Amino acid sequence: MTRIRPLATAALMAATFGTISAAHADESLLGRVKSAEVLPKGAYDLTLGTTWRQGKDRGSYDGVDVKAELEYGLTNRFQLGFAVYGRSVRNRGLLVDGYLPQEGTFGPKLAAIEVDSKYNFLSPAKDDFGLSLYSALSYGWMDQHSGQDKNTLSLEMKLLGQKYFMEGQMIWMGGIGFEGTYADRAYIPGLPEGFDWPIDPETELEITVNTGLSYRFAPSWYIGAEIEYQTEFETEVGQERWSVFAGPSIHYGGEKFWMTATWLPQLDGGGERYPGQTSGLHLIEKTKNEFMFKIGMNF
Amino acid sequence: MTDARTFGFMLTMPVLAISQSVYAKDYLSVPQAQKLLFPDAESFAPHTVSLTKAQKKAIKKLSGVRQRWDEQKVWKAVAGGKTLGWFIVDEVVGKHEFITYAAALSADGHVLGLEVMSYRETHGDEVMQADWRAQFKGKTLGDVFKLDEDIANISGATLSCRNLTDGVHRLLALEKLVLNRG
Repeated sequence: MTRIRPLATAALMAATFGTISAAHADESLLGRVKSAEVLPKGAYDLTLGTTWRQGKDRGSYDGVDVKAELEYGLTNRFQLGFAVYGRSVRNRGLLVDGYLPQEGTFGPKLAAIEVDSKYNFLSPAKDDFGLSLYSALSYGWMDQHSGQDKNTLSLEMKLLGQKYFMEGQMIWMGGIGFEGTYADRAYIPGLPEGFDWPIDPETELEITVNTGLSYRFAPSWYIGAEIEYQTEFETEVGQERWSVFAGPSIHYGGEKFWMTATWLPQLDGGGERYPGQTSGLHLIEKTKNEFMFKIGMNF
Repeated sequence: MTDARTFGFMLTMPVLAISQSVYAKDYLSVPQAQKLLFPDAESFAPHTVSLTKAQKKAIKKLSGVRQRWDEQKVWKAVAGGKTLGWFIVDEVVGKHEFITYAAALSADGHVLGLEVMSYRETHGDEVMQADWRAQFKGKTLGDVFKLDEDIANISGATLSCRNLTDGVHRLLALEKLVLNRG
């Protein structure tokens, strides 16, 4: 925990400091579901997002991911982004063959970098239905779940839809995407004999479908709800996991900056389970809860 | 638990930080907007319109735009005993807040001018510029009122442009159905 604090403090400082200088456009109304809108040409957006992944039923598990991203509107339809991820994982009281090899605190440290883009085919305000293609290429070196060293190269493609209702007071958003990952874990010395920690490279295919609604209940303030289904197929085990997360968000969008807070509990899940797991969720690579907080500044 | 406390701290501090940043940009008062849109008017007679459900439905049918408000603030601009036109204050949804604007309509149903009275969005200040607003001059109910067809869009403020464009179209329907009968 004290090792998590530097990362948290850095995130806080960046978020607070950022509010002094800046302002809006490609803002996140929800936690997970992306909008189809893009930044106008020449506009920048700086976003700092924190996700706290909490609880696996047994023991004590906390993962904190921090993402800092700068986006730029190259044209009025196309934006580019560059992101840096920091991560910290704390795991106590749960070891899972093949997934969680060690207890302890791992990080905080830089964990991944990403370049992404969004191309807007249809504008939700101008064409009645918004449609964009989001793509991201990322390289990581720290496993999100175990905190162990793991090199990953991922390519994500996602179609994003958006529709305004009530002149824009209520907004529907949805997405369907695929992410392919090449992963290579590092050897861990000193593991108990027979503990499974494969170090042969593997490939994974993740499919995500999500949708959500956001409603402006007062000037600048939105409440929203979203649901996300995600499944992953992997070389060794076929369908490794699936999960359904759903929950509320609250969003503030101001002239100078925006922020979004989201709670996503896991409602249902399946696939691989650890021995003795009692709940019907997927708790090996996912957690019981995800809390997200994002703050963005446009300029 | 320490993680929870740390995360909670991260959540609350930026929330506190934003409380310093309440903003409002009111550019024109009603008398100022009246003076700009009807410089020759000698007086403005208040003419608040209360709309029935049937009238709201008719406005939507005629303009294709929902009439959100039950009441519409209208003034009759008068000079030398003659009606110069209607001065109407309206609000439409912006990206974050309502945009308040005033439209000047002639008694024969065309747009004389437009003034943005309050705009609070990050992008799209161009809607306040004279050349963007000038696109509405002369428009009548029968015009297209579509972005990038007869009204130029402003990137980054598309929703504001769309709702202002639809708003003026709706006010022309209001003028035809309600004001013209008075």
